Amino acid sequence: MAMIQFENVSVNYGAPSHPVLSNIDLKIEEGEFVCLLGQTGCGKSTLLRLVLGSERPVAGRVLIAGIEHNQPDPTCGYVPQKYSLFPDKTVMGNITFGPEVSEFNLFTRLTPRYFRQRREFRQQAMQYIRRIGLQDADARKYPDQLSGGMQQRVAIAQALVNRPRILLLDEAFSALDPGTRRDMQVLIRQLWRGTGVTLLFVTHNTHEAVQMGTRVIVLARETPNHGSRVAMDLAIPSSCPADEVSRLAARLDSAAGSTREPEEFTSGIGDSGAHDLAAARNLLPNEI
Amino acid sequence: MRGGFQLVHAKPSRSATALLSWFLFVLGIGLYVNAAQKRHQENAEDRVVPTIPHMLHSTYDAAFKPAEDDESTIGDNANLPQRFLASMLWKDTKASARRFLYSLLLLIPAVFLGLHMGLFPYVGLFFSRFVLFFDKIIALSLLPILFIAFGIDELSKIMLIVIGVTPTIILDTFNLTRSVPQEQVVKAFTLGAGDFDVAYRVILRQIAPRVLNSIRLNLKAVMLFLFAGEMIASTDGLAYRIALLRRHMGMDVIIPYVLWVALLLFLVDVAMRLINRKLHPWFREA
Repeated sequence: MAMIQFENVSVNYGAPSHPVLSNIDLKIEEGEFVCLLGQTGCGKSTLLRLVLGSERPVAGRVLIAGIEHNQPDPTCGYVPQKYSLFPDKTVMGNITFGPEVSEFNLFTRLTPRYFRQRREFRQQAMQYIRRIGLQDADARKYPDQLSGGMQQRVAIAQALVNRPRILLLDEAFSALDPGTRRDMQVLIRQLWRGTGVTLLFVTHNTHEAVQMGTRVIVLARETPNHGSRVAMDLAIPSSCPADEVSRLAARLDSAAGSTREPEEFTSGIGDSGAHDLAAARNLLPNEI
Repeated sequence: MRGGFQLVHAKPSRSATALLSWFLFVLGIGLYVNAAQKRHQENAEDRVVPTIPHMLHSTYDAAFKPAEDDESTIGDNANLPQRFLASMLWKDTKASARRFLYSLLLLIPAVFLGLHMGLFPYVGLFFSRFVLFFDKIIALSLLPILFIAFGIDELSKIMLIVIGVTPTIILDTFNLTRSVPQEQVVKAFTLGAGDFDVAYRVILRQIAPRVLNSIRLNLKAVMLFLFAGEMIASTDGLAYRIALLRRHMGMDVIIPYVLWVALLLFLVDVAMRLINRKLHPWFREA
């Protein structure tokens, strides 16, 4: 059974004459790393929100492990591009938020068991903080005291700490500088291999998609009045040399229209980035 | 291209900052002293613009001499704090402060209502139109109705403040709740939060500093309605005293009372800012 299944899904915004997605039929298996590509406004984030359950289709249905999914729940971890962390909580508070609210409601949080358990949550969070490359002292910092890259690292740890079956990243790296972006790509690859989570990654960057994913899906509109459909669904070989990456990226570019990002972004995954990613692709599972 | 000095980018020195920020205070006091002197040269018994020494004397009487009904309880050898606690100024301040605090406490349910209206669509639909309409009612126009309905006791004065300020606080909280990015709400649900976790552990905590700011900015409105109520129907309180002294042209006490109220409000404002900063170290005001 597929982990995520779209059955003839359509989504409209506003008037019915302006569809965003039309008749999407897709199956994503457990443990896949799927990159979603497409031009701005083609419905990549909408597709992600359908999986998340925060958006409902006007037609068709979205199944998660065979069950229809209508509202956000801990099945899916979510890392948006902006507002990924709670600004009022420290790094520690952000990471322990999930385990705390999953096990304790507003009233049971007043019991001694909660205070005992909280110590465990904090120890577990500290392990995550170290694994995502942050220092112990960063645990007490608020999100606005962290750089963009560090914030996204914490957001990923926050999403993974509850061990979701699916992790959704919505242009999570698009605001990062090329160097940080490369580090994050490596980190995500490592975490994906370590956890075996099914990963859906929305990006504008074809090189990034090819280098990171095991499969790339391109969404594109046939005409401006039609909703987007799957224009290309490409499996990426596990070993992908740099020239092959460029060739696949070019194919994906043409399928999506021009989705290529400005040079300053793509350069973040240039030769050295490709090398790091290639190494990350072949890393041994790192249990986290 | 236009050259020259841009006023927008001026950086005042320390001395300029001190001079400019205190100038209007000094000017106001100077003009007042001048006007008081002139009037007293024309008429030594003038009560409209009392001199500074006259005001200081009256302030001392109001702050350190026993209130009329308290003469029996305080001896002649009582120390300054004891005399202050038995004074007219303290009794009036205490009466007004009590009403002020009750009113602030009654704003708490308004915050919760605004929060639930902003977060839960059905609660929002149920209340928003009514609160929007209620907000347009001029609270002071309800004063006669309140006196008829609740009598001229404390309740009518507190109700006046509540009716005057709560719609603003409800709508402010509602808008603040709606302004929390949807990503935060969705994220909380994906982390296993329930509706009330999202309401109280995500939204309320994020909007709390802005709500406190909103209440802080509405303190003047709270005092306005409090004064209106006290001036019309009360037997104690700062505004009652001002209204009473108006009949006797007691400007030597009215002016210090007005300045005392302004000072108290200023201190409450400063205290609320400090509390806000202490409670929400993550919050940076835009």
